[in-house]
Amino acid sequence: MTSRIVRYAVLGVLGVLWLLPIYLLLANASKSNADFSGSQLWTTGNVVALWNNIVDVFTTTGISNGFGVSAVYAVIAPIIAVVLGACVGFAVIVLKLKHGFTWFFLVFCGTVFPIQMMVIPWFSFSADTGLYDTIVGMIIIYSIVALPFSAFVMRNFFIGISETVFEAAVVDGASVWRIFSRIYLPMSTSALVVVFILQATWVWNDFLLSLILTQSTARPVMPLLNALQSTEGGGPGYTVTLTAALLVSIPTAALFLFTQRFFQKGLALGQY
Amino acid sequence: MHSKSNGYQRSAWAFMGPGVALVLLAMYIPVVYTMYLSLTDYNGLDTPQFVGLQNYVTMFSDPSFLMSLLNTAIWVVGTLIVPVGVGLLVAYLSFGLKWASLFRIPFLIPYALSGVAIGVVFNFILQNGGALSQAMAFFHLPGADTHWLEVAPLNTIVMILASSWQGIGVNALLFIVGLQSIPKEPLEAARIDGANGLRLFTTMIWPLLRPSTTIVVGLSIVNSLKTFDIVETMTQGGPNRISETLGVTMYSDTFQNSQYGLGAAVAIFLTIVTVAASVLYLRRQLAIGDSSGSGKVAEA
Repeated sequence: MTSRIVRYAVLGVLGVLWLLPIYLLLANASKSNADFSGSQLWTTGNVVALWNNIVDVFTTTGISNGFGVSAVYAVIAPIIAVVLGACVGFAVIVLKLKHGFTWFFLVFCGTVFPIQMMVIPWFSFSADTGLYDTIVGMIIIYSIVALPFSAFVMRNFFIGISETVFEAAVVDGASVWRIFSRIYLPMSTSALVVVFILQATWVWNDFLLSLILTQSTARPVMPLLNALQSTEGGGPGYTVTLTAALLVSIPTAALFLFTQRFFQKGLALGQY
Repeated sequence: MHSKSNGYQRSAWAFMGPGVALVLLAMYIPVVYTMYLSLTDYNGLDTPQFVGLQNYVTMFSDPSFLMSLLNTAIWVVGTLIVPVGVGLLVAYLSFGLKWASLFRIPFLIPYALSGVAIGVVFNFILQNGGALSQAMAFFHLPGADTHWLEVAPLNTIVMILASSWQGIGVNALLFIVGLQSIPKEPLEAARIDGANGLRLFTTMIWPLLRPSTTIVVGLSIVNSLKTFDIVETMTQGGPNRISETLGVTMYSDTFQNSQYGLGAAVAIFLTIVTVAASVLYLRRQLAIGDSSGSGKVAEA
């Protein structure tokens, strides 16, 4: 009994400690620049100031454009990656591609290289082809980076589907493409969702790639948020920067809270 | 007619082709090209000039790189101690408790935040005269005027703590998955035999948690080797490049100092270390694809 109380107490104290940075973020995003003296960082703010800061983020900082751009990347690239990944898994497991594991392993090894190992050629190539700082260029790159992990999860998922499903569909006269799109994809919704959520979060939170491969029009929220910090003098006040940090965190936090179970599954698969 | 097992080779390639082609063209060729660039002098504009191993010689005699190497080592060790240790503690303490998932929420919230957002928040907390200093002054603690982000290795250590704030929830979840898969009977038997608390943990639970530990440790090492976002957001590797990690060094050498060859050499060094560390858990990760492993994952 006492050990139970100790466990609750330790967890509770640690939990409160863990929430303090969140409290500081909320409290100071809810202060007007006038109230923000820099000496009273622990006091609470108010909703009116928070609202004004939110309006300021969208009207006075360059970050507003980034929200749309990030959303496009975080939705489209994971969808492309997950479908291509499912194709790879389907070819190896269901269609029994010759030397399938070797080819699959070749794709899978794409998860092993740090991005630093590939980003210089990507930078040069995108500059030469006009893909630098374009939405299309970024979607292509994000899709490719997300592909190996998608292929990995989808292959593992297809292993669990009985071969008789495929054989029965063939007997019924369905084409291979039809079997893939009408039977296998719908059967794999849960795996597709896991991959989509993990990759959408990764794309939304990406900093390294977007810092290097974009400049203005195609720049998503994370490098824009980072830039808000370093603007001195004429830049937005600290309260507005913190509000921006709060706003860019809401989509992934919401996605995470609503899909926690899927996250846990994805974690068990070994990424992040 | 084709035989049954070979009947779909052409279709199989239609499905496999795009994925393989994209990965070969957009990942493997750039990897090889980066290797080549590491042997050249290249400023990003002119033609790369072959210089042999010169960049590697420069790299290993560059104090910034050696500092960066040391910092990265501190990151790896620090990330093993704090997020893995506290993650295990949270998992173990909360496992089997009523409202356990409620008590885990504070640790999970930071997980959804980006490295950049965390950098912004912790800059606010750790700047000179920031929230931490004010709290310390309020409680009359010594060190309230510490310059957290300006002195090495203190700045690296506080950034590791900022990163731990985010990472603990994930590690706790992974350990919980592991705890759930431990069979109940041997634990009960040990309990009846009088083992409890620390003894039960060290002799029974810790050895049985080994698969989870391998994944958590492997992931922690690989991810800490690649540290970039938090450092770039909080200190930009400064002041005077004293808080750089390998990822940041590669970025500043290449894209800020236009020494592409040197940056490529750093990238290769980073890759070799990361790949070596990956082998630790890759086998385990691929093993999940086996029929025995996949069932466990589905239950979790």
